[in-house]
Amino acid sequence: MLKLAYQYMRYYKNQTFAILASMILTAALLSGISSLMYSSQRNDLENNKTIYGDWHYNIEANQQFCESVQQKETGNGYDLVQVGKKEIRDVLREPYLISFVYADVPYMQMTHRELTKGRYPQKEGEIAADHYTLGNLGFTGGIGDGVSLGGEDYILTGIVNGKWSSDADEMEVFVGEGFAGRGRQMCLYLRFAENQKLYRQLDAFCRKYGISGDAVEGNEHVIQDLGGEQPDSIYEIVKFALTDERGNFTYVLLKLTNEYRLDFYGMITLLCLFSLFVIYSIFQISVSKRTSEYGIMQTLGISEKRIAGILIMELWILFFVGYPIGCLLGNGILNICYQQLANIFGTRSFGTAKTGTELSKTDQVFAQRQAESPGFYVAWKVMIIGFFVLMTALAIIGFITVYAMHRRSVRQIMAGDTSYIKRKRYIYARRNGDLASVVVRKFMFSNKRKVIGILLSLSIGGCIFLCTAYMAENLKIHADMSMKSEDGLGSQYKISVKSNALSDTIPKSVVEQIRNMPELSMVYASKYTLGELIIQKNELEWVEYFKEQNQDSYFNQRYGGICVEKENGTYGIKYDVYGYEEGMVTQLEEFLLEGRIRMEELENQDKIVAVANKDGQGNYNFYGKHPGDTIRLRVPKDQDCPDENLKFQGPEDCYIEKEFQIAAIVSRALAKEEQFLNVQGWSNSQSIIMTNQQMERQYNIADYSFINASPAEGNDTGTVTNLLLQKIKDIPKTVLKDLSGAIETQKHYLRQQQLFFSGIAGILFVISLFHIMNSVNYSILSRRREYGMIRAMGITDIGFYRMVLQAGMTYGLLTDLFLFLIYNIVLRKMMDYYMVHIVQFLHFTAEVPTSIMAMVMSLNLLAAEAAVLIPARKIVKENIISEIAGER
Amino acid sequence: MSVLKLCHVDKVYGERENQVKALRDINIQVKEGEFIAIVGTSGSGKSTLLNLVGGLDTPTNGKILVKGREIGSLTRKELTIFRRRNIGFVFQNYSLMPVLNVYDNVALPVTFDKGKHVNHGYIEELLKELGLFEQRFRYPTELSGGQQQRVAIARALVNKPAIILADEPTGNLDSVTTVEVIGLLKSSSRRYNQTILMVTHNEGIAQICDRMIHIEDGRVCTDRCQFLQKGGDVLC
Repeated sequence: MLKLAYQYMRYYKNQTFAILASMILTAALLSGISSLMYSSQRNDLENNKTIYGDWHYNIEANQQFCESVQQKETGNGYDLVQVGKKEIRDVLREPYLISFVYADVPYMQMTHRELTKGRYPQKEGEIAADHYTLGNLGFTGGIGDGVSLGGEDYILTGIVNGKWSSDADEMEVFVGEGFAGRGRQMCLYLRFAENQKLYRQLDAFCRKYGISGDAVEGNEHVIQDLGGEQPDSIYEIVKFALTDERGNFTYVLLKLTNEYRLDFYGMITLLCLFSLFVIYSIFQISVSKRTSEYGIMQTLGISEKRIAGILIMELWILFFVGYPIGCLLGNGILNICYQQLANIFGTRSFGTAKTGTELSKTDQVFAQRQAESPGFYVAWKVMIIGFFVLMTALAIIGFITVYAMHRRSVRQIMAGDTSYIKRKRYIYARRNGDLASVVVRKFMFSNKRKVIGILLSLSIGGCIFLCTAYMAENLKIHADMSMKSEDGLGSQYKISVKSNALSDTIPKSVVEQIRNMPELSMVYASKYTLGELIIQKNELEWVEYFKEQNQDSYFNQRYGGICVEKENGTYGIKYDVYGYEEGMVTQLEEFLLEGRIRMEELENQDKIVAVANKDGQGNYNFYGKHPGDTIRLRVPKDQDCPDENLKFQGPEDCYIEKEFQIAAIVSRALAKEEQFLNVQGWSNSQSIIMTNQQMERQYNIADYSFINASPAEGNDTGTVTNLLLQKIKDIPKTVLKDLSGAIETQKHYLRQQQLFFSGIAGILFVISLFHIMNSVNYSILSRRREYGMIRAMGITDIGFYRMVLQAGMTYGLLTDLFLFLIYNIVLRKMMDYYMVHIVQFLHFTAEVPTSIMAMVMSLNLLAAEAAVLIPARKIVKENIISEIAGER
Repeated sequence: MSVLKLCHVDKVYGERENQVKALRDINIQVKEGEFIAIVGTSGSGKSTLLNLVGGLDTPTNGKILVKGREIGSLTRKELTIFRRRNIGFVFQNYSLMPVLNVYDNVALPVTFDKGKHVNHGYIEELLKELGLFEQRFRYPTELSGGQQQRVAIARALVNKPAIILADEPTGNLDSVTTVEVIGLLKSSSRRYNQTILMVTHNEGIAQICDRMIHIEDGRVCTDRCQFLQKGGDVLC
C-alpha cells in the first residue's frame, strides 16, 4: 500500500507538489498565526505583571498567619513560588493620601518597587519613597535629607521604583520594621506556580488555612489568562443562555470569549478549516486525474478499503513532510518579524468591557512603550493539536473520496469525469456564432461543484481582505474615538486638577491666558460638577450594576452610594455633569446615538446631551428615554460645599434641581474626569453634558476643571510643555499630562496592525490563488486533446487565447458578484454584530473605501485571467500533434 | 492540376544518437479530386506525412505546396487560417467535442472565421447526406462509432476544404461500417471534387482508392494508380 502510494506520488509529480505546497503554506499560516497570537498573549501577561505586579492573589492577614504561610510554601494541591508581605503602618490624609508601608523584599520584587538608590529604612524616623511622591511633596533634596510628612520630619534613606502608573490613587512611603505608626494592616501577596490552574491552587490553599474565598483578592489582569478563576462550564453557559431571559447568543459568545478564549481558538479553527478546504480541493483534483485508474484497480479486485488506505497514506506522507516544514517556515518568518508585529494582537487595549483596577487607555499605551522588548513564543500546544486535527481530517478526506467513488459504478469510475455532458437539446450554432467559446465554457463550467469551489477560492481571499479592511477602518476610528473620549479629544496635552473637591478648579483667567497662547491650537476647556439624576422606580435599569457600585466602599462612604432610593420612591443616581464649549459639542456628533446636537438649541432652549449607559453586550440605553423627553438633575448649589453634600442627602436648599429636555443621546462623554466617579476601577461613568455657558447660567460655575490642547503647527512640544507648566504652576493640584508620545505610539500600532492584517489577507489570497491556478490549470489541461483538435481545425492562437480569457473573465465576474453578495449580505452583518456586541466598538459604520473594493474586484479579475492564461499559454506552446495524441 | 506537391521532404525527430528519420526524400504530387490511400506498417511515417501535409508539423527539409502555396513560408497565423480553409481532418478516434451535439460539432470549424456566415442549409444537407440529420441533437457519447466517424467526416467537409486528411478513419470500426464510411468519403470526394489522403493499415480499403502510396521506413516504396471498373474491381 505504502509502495503504491509512493509510486502514485512520484508519477503525478505536479499534483504531489501542489498538495505538498498547499500543506506547507497552510501549516505555515496556521502555526505562524497561532504563535503570534500566543506570543502576544504571553507578552500581554508579562506586560500586565510589570504594570500590576507579579503576584496572583492578596489576602488580609495577621502575624501568625503570615509566618505560617511564609514557612510552608508548598502544600497539598498548591505550589507557592513567592509570598510577599506588606503592612500599612500609618496613613496621612493631607496634603495627599499617603500610606506608610513596611514591606518585605519579596513584596518589593513582586511589585517592581526595588531600591534604585540608597538603602531600605531601618529606624523609626527613616523612609524611602519614589520620585513621584517626593516630587509632589515638593522635595528637592537627596538621600540623607529630611522630608516633612504630616508635621513630622523623616530622613530619606532610599529611592524606590515608582508605581508604574502616575495616576496611582495613593502615594506610598516605605518605612523600616521599627516604624510603629498608628496601626498595622497586614496583607500577604501570593504567587503560585503557573504551570497549574491558579484557582485550583487557591482552593487548596484556602482549604489548608481555612480561609474563605471572599477574603482573597485577585490580581485580575495577571490571573485572567492563568486560570485565576474557575470558568463556568460550557454546558452551564449554554443552559443559562437557553433558559434565562437575560441569556442570549451574545451572552454565550462573550462568556466563551472571556472564559475560553473563543477569539484565539476560533481563529485557529477557522485557519484549520481554511487549510482543509484548500488541501481537500487540491487533493480532489489530483484524485480526479486518476479516478479511472482506481476503477481499473477495483476491476482487478482491490477493495475500496485498500484504495482508501492508499489515498490516506499518500496524504499522510505528504502531511508528515509538509507540516513540519510549514511550521518551521511560519514560525521562522514571524519570529523575524515579531519585533515589529508584537503589539498587533494586544487588542485588549482596544476592548471596552473592563473590570477591576484599570489603567486609562493612554497609560496602557505608555505601558506598552515602556515594556521590555517582547519575546516570541512558539505555540507548541496549538501546533500539536493542529497536527492531530489535520491528520484526522485528512483521513476523513480520504474516506470521503472513496465514498464518492463508492456511489458510482466501476464503469462510471473508469469513464472518469463526465460531468460536462449536459443533455440540453438545442443547437448553439443557430444562436451563437462563437462555438469555440461554448466548448470552453462547457468544459469549465459544467461541473458545478468544481465551479463553486473555484469561485469560493477566488472570493475567499477577497472576502477576508474586505473584512480585514472593514475591521481596520472601524478599529482606527474606534481607537481615535477612545482616545478622544478617555484622554481628551486626541489632544496632545491634558491639564486637569488632581483633586476630588469641586472647589478645586482652573481659574477662568488662566484658561483665557492659555487660550491666547499662539503656540497652541484647538484649546478646549471644560467645566465639571457632580450631579444627581432623579428617575422614577419604573425607569430604573441595571439594578445589579448599581448594586455592585453601591457596594464599593469608596462610593458608599463618599457619596452614600451611586444609585440611592429616595424617601418618595424615586431614585437618585450620581452623575458627572460636564460643560463643553462649542468645538467639543460639535465633536460629540461622532458619538451620536439618537437626536441631534445643536449648540444654539442647548444654549437657548436649555437642552442637554445625555450619555447612554452601555450593557456588557454593547447595547445602549438611557432609562428608556429619548430625545424630547425630560430629566430632572440636581447639583450642589455651592461648589465649595462640604463632602457630605455630595451624598445629595442634605437639605433641599443645598442643591439646585432643574428639569432639562434631552436634545440627543450619545455613547460617550469626551475628556472625562478621573477623580469623582471614574475611580476605583470604574470607568465611563454616567454623564450629562451641557455647554459651559449653561453651567455658568444654571449653576454659577465660572471656572474650569480640565483643558485639552494641542501645539500649533511648527512648535516644539518641549517648549510648549514648559510654557504650559509655567501657566499652571500656581494653581494647586493642577497637573499637565503630555499625551503626544501615547498618540504617536497608538498611531504606530494601528499602522502596524493594518499592515499585518493586510499581510495575512494577502497570504490567504496567495494561497487561494495557488488553489485557483491549480484548479483552472487542471480544468484546461485535462481538455488539451480537445483543445488540440480545435487548434488543428484552424483556430488561431489569438482566437484560442480570446476564448479562454472570456472564460476567465466569466470566472472573475462571477467571483466579484459572489464576493459582493457574500460580503454585503452575510459578512458585513457578522462583522457589525462582532464589532457592536463582542469587541464593542464605539463606531462601526465606516465603509471599506471604494478604492479598496475596486482593487479587490480588479484583483479577482486579474487572478482569474492569469489562472486561465498560464495553462492556455502552455497549450499554445505545445505541438498540436502531441496534444491530439493526448501525451502528457 | 496538382493540388498538393511534396518535394524532397525529410522529417527528422530527435538529435544525435536519438535521431529518428521519420520521412526521407518524399516526392509526391497529388491531383485535385484524387482519393489516395497511404499504407505502410506501424511507424513507417504515414501519420507524419499526413501531419506535414496538414501543416500540423513542419518538415526538416524540402517543400510542401498546397494549392500552389508553400506552407513552410506561411506564418503561424497564416498557416492556421490556411489549414482552416483548405484542409479537413478525420481522425481514427473521431475527436469530437463531447460537450457539443452533432449539429454543433459539424458547425464548429465554420464559426472560427469571425463574421463568416454559417450556412445552415449546407450543414443540414451534409447531415442528411451522411444520414445524421435525425441525430443532430444527440451528443457524441450517444452515437455509435460509425455515426461518430460520420460526424467527423461531416465536420471535415463543412468548410468545403480542398484536401481531406483522414488518419485511419476506419481503425475503430467494424467491417460493415468501414465500407459505409469509405463510401461516404469517396462520394464526397467526387461530389465536391475534393482530394482525400487517407492513412490506413487495411490493404482492402486501400484497394478501392484511386491511388495507393506505400511507405516503409520513411520512404515511398510504391506509388501506383488504380482505376476502378464498374462494380468496384481494381484496374492498375
